[in-house]
Amino acid sequence: MREPPQAPGRVVWRQLRRNPLAVAGGGMLVAFYALALLAPFIAPYAEDEVDRERFYHPPQRLHLLDASGRFTGLHVRATRLVDASAFRYVETPAPVPVRWFVHGSRYRLLGVFPADRHLFGVDPPQRIYLLGADPLGRDMLSRVLYGARISLTVGLVGIAISFALGLCLGGVSGYFGGWVDAAIMRLTELLLTVPAFYLIIALRAVFPADLPSGQVYLAIVAILALIGWAGLARVIRGMVLSIRRSEFVLAAEALGMSRARVIARHVLPNTVSFVIVAATIAVPGYILGEVFLSFLGVGVQEPSASWGNMLNQARGYRALSSFPWLLFVPGTAIFLTVMAFNFLGDGLRDALDPRRVQGGRIA
Amino acid sequence: MRYLNGMALIAAAALATLSLGACAGQKPGNTAYHDPHPLPPDTLTLPAAEIGSYGGRFVFAATSGPRTFNKLLANEQPSNDIDNLLFVGLTEFDNETQQIFPELAKFWDVSPDQLTWTWHLRRGACFSDGHPITSADVLFMFELAYDPVLHPSLQDLLKSDGKPFQVTAPDSYTVVTKLAAPHPLMAAAVGSLRIMPRHVLEPLYRKGAFASAYGVDTRPDSLVTSGPFRLRQYVPGEKVVLERNPYWIGVDAKGQRLPYLDELVFLIVPDQNTAAIKFQAGEVDAIDNVKPEDYKTYIDGAGGGGYTLHDLGASLSTNFLWFNLNRVREGHGSRRAGEPAVDPTKYRWFANREFRRAVSMAIDRDAMIRGPFHGHGLKNWSAPTVGSKQWGSHGIVGFDYEPEGAKRILDSLGWKDRDGDGVREDDRGHPIRFVIKTNADNLLRVQMLDLIKDDLAKVGIACVPASVEFNTLTTNLRDDFQYDAILLGLGSAVPPDPGMYANFLTSKGIAHYWDIKQDHPATPAEAELDRLYAEVIASSDPAKRMEPWKRIVRTLNDECFVIWLPSQKIMVPVRNRFGNVHPTVIPQRVLWNIDRVFVKQSSTRA
Amino acid sequence: MRTFLIRRLLQTVPLLLGISALTFLLLRLAPGDFLATMAENPQISAATLDAMRHRFGLDQPWWVQYGLYLRNLFLRLDFGESFSRHQPVFTVLRQGMLNTLLLTGAAAIVTWGLAIPLGVWAAVRQHRATDRLLSLFAFVGLSVPEVLSGLLLLLMAARTGWFPVGGMRSLDWEELDAAHRVVDVLRHLVLPALVVGLIPLAGRMRQMRSSVLDVLRLDYVTTARAKGLDERTVVFKHAARNALNPLITLFGYTLGSLLSGSFVAEVIFSWPGLGRITVEAIQTQDQYLVMGSVLMASAMLILGNLVADVLLAAADPRIAHA
Repeated sequence: MREPPQAPGRVVWRQLRRNPLAVAGGGMLVAFYALALLAPFIAPYAEDEVDRERFYHPPQRLHLLDASGRFTGLHVRATRLVDASAFRYVETPAPVPVRWFVHGSRYRLLGVFPADRHLFGVDPPQRIYLLGADPLGRDMLSRVLYGARISLTVGLVGIAISFALGLCLGGVSGYFGGWVDAAIMRLTELLLTVPAFYLIIALRAVFPADLPSGQVYLAIVAILALIGWAGLARVIRGMVLSIRRSEFVLAAEALGMSRARVIARHVLPNTVSFVIVAATIAVPGYILGEVFLSFLGVGVQEPSASWGNMLNQARGYRALSSFPWLLFVPGTAIFLTVMAFNFLGDGLRDALDPRRVQGGRIA
Repeated sequence: MRYLNGMALIAAAALATLSLGACAGQKPGNTAYHDPHPLPPDTLTLPAAEIGSYGGRFVFAATSGPRTFNKLLANEQPSNDIDNLLFVGLTEFDNETQQIFPELAKFWDVSPDQLTWTWHLRRGACFSDGHPITSADVLFMFELAYDPVLHPSLQDLLKSDGKPFQVTAPDSYTVVTKLAAPHPLMAAAVGSLRIMPRHVLEPLYRKGAFASAYGVDTRPDSLVTSGPFRLRQYVPGEKVVLERNPYWIGVDAKGQRLPYLDELVFLIVPDQNTAAIKFQAGEVDAIDNVKPEDYKTYIDGAGGGGYTLHDLGASLSTNFLWFNLNRVREGHGSRRAGEPAVDPTKYRWFANREFRRAVSMAIDRDAMIRGPFHGHGLKNWSAPTVGSKQWGSHGIVGFDYEPEGAKRILDSLGWKDRDGDGVREDDRGHPIRFVIKTNADNLLRVQMLDLIKDDLAKVGIACVPASVEFNTLTTNLRDDFQYDAILLGLGSAVPPDPGMYANFLTSKGIAHYWDIKQDHPATPAEAELDRLYAEVIASSDPAKRMEPWKRIVRTLNDECFVIWLPSQKIMVPVRNRFGNVHPTVIPQRVLWNIDRVFVKQSSTRA
Repeated sequence: MRTFLIRRLLQTVPLLLGISALTFLLLRLAPGDFLATMAENPQISAATLDAMRHRFGLDQPWWVQYGLYLRNLFLRLDFGESFSRHQPVFTVLRQGMLNTLLLTGAAAIVTWGLAIPLGVWAAVRQHRATDRLLSLFAFVGLSVPEVLSGLLLLLMAARTGWFPVGGMRSLDWEELDAAHRVVDVLRHLVLPALVVGLIPLAGRMRQMRSSVLDVLRLDYVTTARAKGLDERTVVFKHAARNALNPLITLFGYTLGSLLSGSFVAEVIFSWPGLGRITVEAIQTQDQYLVMGSVLMASAMLILGNLVADVLLAAADPRIAHA
């Protein structure tokens, strides 16, 4: 008895749900993007809020019971600087209660609505540094949330541009062959050896200095992506070359299908699972690429926060031994995001397997 | 393009009288070294705290390799660090006493009008191949220095009143230089012209091949030197190994020929963090560019690690902030020549001395020292800095942190915050807001800028920090003036004398950043600075120079053309098993007396 | 095949010309020139800078500079001179090139030598413990930035002393005999090669796995199984070879990028390679050095792609006749 054919989308969704890792990854990404979107609200402080009494402050613990064991509600404890040269702080017994929906620095929610309420905070002049502070006393939690806005969008914009271009041109190149193929391949070769680093420096100089760093960076990434499509195009072309000569494509052509339809309906879908895996590897590539650019010193600049420039500042011997949160906060964020993308991509690949979608037999 | 290859150099080497191949077999640690050559009649006794013994190897971590071994054409620090050890000068600067002393020259006479300097060379000095060093070599070096095509950077230092010296050599060990006008830094200037072998290089120079001579691809045994060391080996990107020059004129107090060390290795480690790790692992004996944030790690580990972290006091490098008062040179677009390069609204603020003073008073320098400098910084109000014993001790202080005073000044100008957004508007209603740029690769400056932003916000001024690439910054401050304000600084000059800061202090200078290369002084204060500067360099007598110098410092601080920021304290770690180690804040910090450094006998060699 | 090769080689020349023109254009677009950093030194006068500018030919219009460059390149195979090192470009690059090839070559061996068998293994054991473990390793490997992995490995080397702390050779390398010299370099090679090869290893392994899984579902595999062939033959003789197809282009790409892509590791481990020289040249606008470096990397890439195409044609006879 044959199963009635189901809508491919629903089948994919069901397959995906069965994969715990993919679900975890997808869930984590949804959460991260939500956090990034609502960053100014969730972050207790602005990303450039300096506190000169709290340079290198360590992460504070949340307590429910105060020093004598009484229930006091959620609070952190005030700290005291005991060794200025080593930036060592100790907790005092004084409780600092956590307040919800507090007034704080002003921002624009979703870029539009002016607001000044933050999810949580403490009464000034105390501070709540759940993930510690950086060398200038700025809250790491706030910075990592603001940095998420840059790091998470960079990947999406990057692959959107580069994949659109790569699929189109790679497919066309592999299918048509001949001089079209040669021309496109020479173009990809040309682009793949353009010194992107140099292009970035030149373009960075063109933009006005007081443009927000994030926007400059997006522009730079867009340009990188425009150069980056070339690699994907080459791979797609290789696959298309093989597939094109396969029997079912020849049959479709023999049946008189137009070239465009053959490409769209037969050639490209067979490259899909590879493309998806490649896409999930590429997004993290942009995130890691941002880290590399910060390493070179041409990424997002101070005082804006990005995961890459936070990681780069923490590269020293001292940071690792005395102030490890400087390294592990952005490091873990990068690590988790990249892993989440990979889990999700892998799950998608399994779910999108054409044999399953079409209800064919599984070997 | 020329493609002078090894052929010409080998031919040149064939002209050299003694091959050094015989001496190449010396292994490090051969404490039984005996000086193979008799001492010359005129030796140079170099001061040192201890008498040392021969043998051993010293490893120094360098951030990058040398670009050339041709001392005359070297312009960058990695090359100078090494080339200064390869070639001797008539005079040298003693970093410890901060005085010039005679090196190749035994002594010199100065005529009463200070226009004729007669240099008497040490007799019997030889190059590393045994060839004698005579006045003909010195004459040749002057000829090279004044060559219009080569135009080495020190040519300008060797001029008086814009004219080259007249140099003659009455006999083999005497050189006479005649000046057109007194030169206060004459001894230092002449000392910077180091002596390279005429017998090797003159034939190349006549053929026009000097510029590519003694490059990094020169074979070590054909590189003839005159300084304490000669080249043993260069592995590109990895290391430079120097060995002792058996003909070096320097001796210790007991008459033993220096240097003590068998080998001096420059290990090329581009990353500061890797260099720190290598030092802790014992692979390197000294590092020079430790970051202030790492000082604590070194302090904590000094006991167990067998090294000392030497505190050298304030650096000679400066950090400061200035506002763009430059004017457009050639009209284009909407700008006519002579108009301010920045927006006229902003120019009104920047040109106002009270505004500049308010900015200086808004900045919390103590917080900067506590934070970015990790406590290892000192407030500085001049260039040369407080690190110069002679010129930094003026005791003059500029407009330090006083935020209430800053607010009072701004209020009195009528610049108040009328719309309640936290930013003051000037008397025409424009919000006071501008961009300060600095170079992105200097983390210290970037952090200082973040603190300044916060400081200025507290007095109601909005500043936008921008970290840009260094090349862009240089173009901005030199060519296109596309900036509001820049936070930068000057590096150290050796010797740390006001005479080395002409370009910064005088209105015509190219380092007079806030308004470079003026045809006429733009303000009475700058005319005053020009006048005072001329007084400072008019005489070689330090007592006569001190008074105008102090007035320069006072004027510069009054005007706040530059807003001074703290300078870093320098600390340098060096292993304890070496004797005669006296690091100084003046470059080259560790290597300046490396020919007197030795391995102490009681400790085992690595 | 022969005409194919000849045609491709002929296409190389205009391509390299195009690359050199584009690089030169980009160099010119950037603000300032080589003397900008020199100009920062207040002790160097304007006259000295002008003389230097003249000596380097930087005072001439860009088309003259480019024209001279091409002329020297074609007539005398002269890549020009490096401004900062006063040496011919080729001499400067040659030293770093071999060192970088050593590093990236070792990394490539690590990557491909492990990626293919591990990918096949994971695919064959899909959804079982081995697959999950390998996938986890791949995910972790892909997620750690080179900057971080390099730093952590370096610290590990310092604390344990099992590996040298950066560099390519020991200080006393010259005094060792031939066998010990090789061992010394290999010891220095391990950590940087791991750092360079880790992310590609993880990526290629996953792609190999996905590719093998694709192939294992195809009908001819089912046929082979139905014919009674044992699993091993099915996997290695039939499936794996076809699964390699999409990876061949990637291998050509790896080959092509042997002269780039190791910058981070080179800096952290003080490996004396091409990456550092090139980046420094770009930052100081040492233009002939940059152009020489880019041209060499381009030539390498073109070679790599050619090899990939040849291999592709050899693996899939249907393409050779295209």
